[in-house]
Amino acid sequence: MARFHPLKVTDVRRETRDAVVVTLAPRDEDRALFDFTQGQYLTFRRDFDGEELRRSYSICAGLDEGCLKVGIKRVDGGAFSTWANENLAPGDEIDAMPPMGKFYTPIEAGAEKQYLGFAGGSGITPLLSIIKTVLAREPGSQFTLVYANRQINTIMFREELDDLKNLYLGRFSVIHVLEQEGQEIDLFTGRIDADKMTALFQHWLDAKSIDTAFICGPEPMMLAIAGSLKEHGLTEAQIKFELFASGQHGRAKARAVSRDAIVPGAGTAATVTLDGATRSFEMARQGETILDAAIANNMDAPYSCKAGVCSTCRCKVIEGEVEMAVNHALEDYEVRAGYVLSCQAYPLSERVVVSYDE
Amino acid sequence: MSETMNIEEYLAQGGVLTAPENVPARYRGELLRLMSSFVDSELAASAGFAASINYAPGIKERIAASRITLEKADHAERVLSVMADFGTDTARYETQHDWAARVGRDEDLGGTRTGGDMRLSVLHYPITGWIDAVVLNVLQGLATGVQMTELTRVSYAPLAEVFRDIAPREARHAELGLEGLERIAANDPDAARASIAYWQLRVAVGFGCLASTRYDILARFGLRHTPNETLLARWQALVTERLAAIGL
Repeated sequence: MARFHPLKVTDVRRETRDAVVVTLAPRDEDRALFDFTQGQYLTFRRDFDGEELRRSYSICAGLDEGCLKVGIKRVDGGAFSTWANENLAPGDEIDAMPPMGKFYTPIEAGAEKQYLGFAGGSGITPLLSIIKTVLAREPGSQFTLVYANRQINTIMFREELDDLKNLYLGRFSVIHVLEQEGQEIDLFTGRIDADKMTALFQHWLDAKSIDTAFICGPEPMMLAIAGSLKEHGLTEAQIKFELFASGQHGRAKARAVSRDAIVPGAGTAATVTLDGATRSFEMARQGETILDAAIANNMDAPYSCKAGVCSTCRCKVIEGEVEMAVNHALEDYEVRAGYVLSCQAYPLSERVVVSYDE
Repeated sequence: MSETMNIEEYLAQGGVLTAPENVPARYRGELLRLMSSFVDSELAASAGFAASINYAPGIKERIAASRITLEKADHAERVLSVMADFGTDTARYETQHDWAARVGRDEDLGGTRTGGDMRLSVLHYPITGWIDAVVLNVLQGLATGVQMTELTRVSYAPLAEVFRDIAPREARHAELGLEGLERIAANDPDAARASIAYWQLRVAVGFGCLASTRYDILARFGLRHTPNETLLARWQALVTERLAAIGL
């Protein structure tokens, strides 16, 4: 099971009005664990008012920078990103899991590839890591970045990208698309949608020459770009996706406090929600799991190993008390948030309400 | 670019998910169910084929059977590592079931999952000899080839990538089988036909219920794209064509 390790904050640099770049260092004994591949992300955890929040942020450093850096853009109402933007300071420690993610292609020093990247807002962070690494380690390859932002002063890493253009003259180009600011060329104003993609392919991009395309941004932009790339002949295998941080779940609600007294008895009134449909039935207090009871009542609840190992059958207890016989798959924070493995969950209270939809 | 959309809507339009953190609860359940079914099937297939190595009549066949045994276990491990990102305890998972266990040759399991693991029901039946092993490998291998056209398109990108790596090697397993079956067809066509009659129906069951209600949910999640009926028909046509080509 993935484990958290403390990272020391060695630098916090303000990148734009609402984004910071945080440099981090692992302890000496954890150094190998935090070796990363370009395009990967780190998952952090922190306690906010007694509730653990986890957030993932992409590494923006290239492999040759010799350090870990993440870009954190403040999201309205986001507890973690606001805290990072306003409170994080050098010398602080923060818990992180080792780098994860598959948003990259293997580096081949002799490759002569054409890469195309699309970034929306802070979706630039993993792309920056990829761009820096590819340009440094694949001297024969070229990279074109299409970078969408609302306006000029919200562009993250604008100067760093300019420096890269100068450093790798002729091998790296950037097309800035700005939603709210007119530019000399109309094509570069507005949002990236299907029409804009078609126009980009007409005038600026050669679909046939592209080996791999990377997309990181919000959902509608990913759909529009992926659709257009496929229309222009790219295969699924040539398109690499990283869904933007906005896809992460909102703040997890703390577990509902049980209102049922745990009283001895033979039966439990169970209410189970699956795919938006809710069914209520009586089940035995002993000898029958919530999963088995749901299946016996013709619900197509997901499960696999039935041994508390795989976590396919995870559900959330909304009301009542249940007890798991074994748990080899859920982490403490999931259990605290009310999740149980339904194949191992026996009801303790007179009434139990669970959902597979949350 | 702060414009976002509901994740279900995004999936319904063909969107791709990239990490456990951005996967909704029901999607998570169905994704894990799909992965564990694949892992269990590969482990059971590998375990079943291991015994067939000793049925092999020659060195070439022995190498082919060994390779299939090895690579199916390797494919199981690759998908299991994607499950691990969701919390699955892989060390316990690998030893959870007796992957070599089989039922009686004449039992009829239908399409139900039995014995606690999620392997395809066809992989519960025992292999009786070399011809039998080759025939099962051909029929199930062609079925896997058809299923791979679905699996390589699943909306969970890290899994789709694993399947895209696996697909050519699974296709090679079926090709190895067809090469072997061609030799058998020339020497002992009756035994081959008897074995085909035994396995064909049992492999067909693996395509799942027709008019499946679960399919609709999976399709909405982008975990399936083609209905069971279509895949089954595609496999049947493929089997007819390939067997006819070698005179069976």
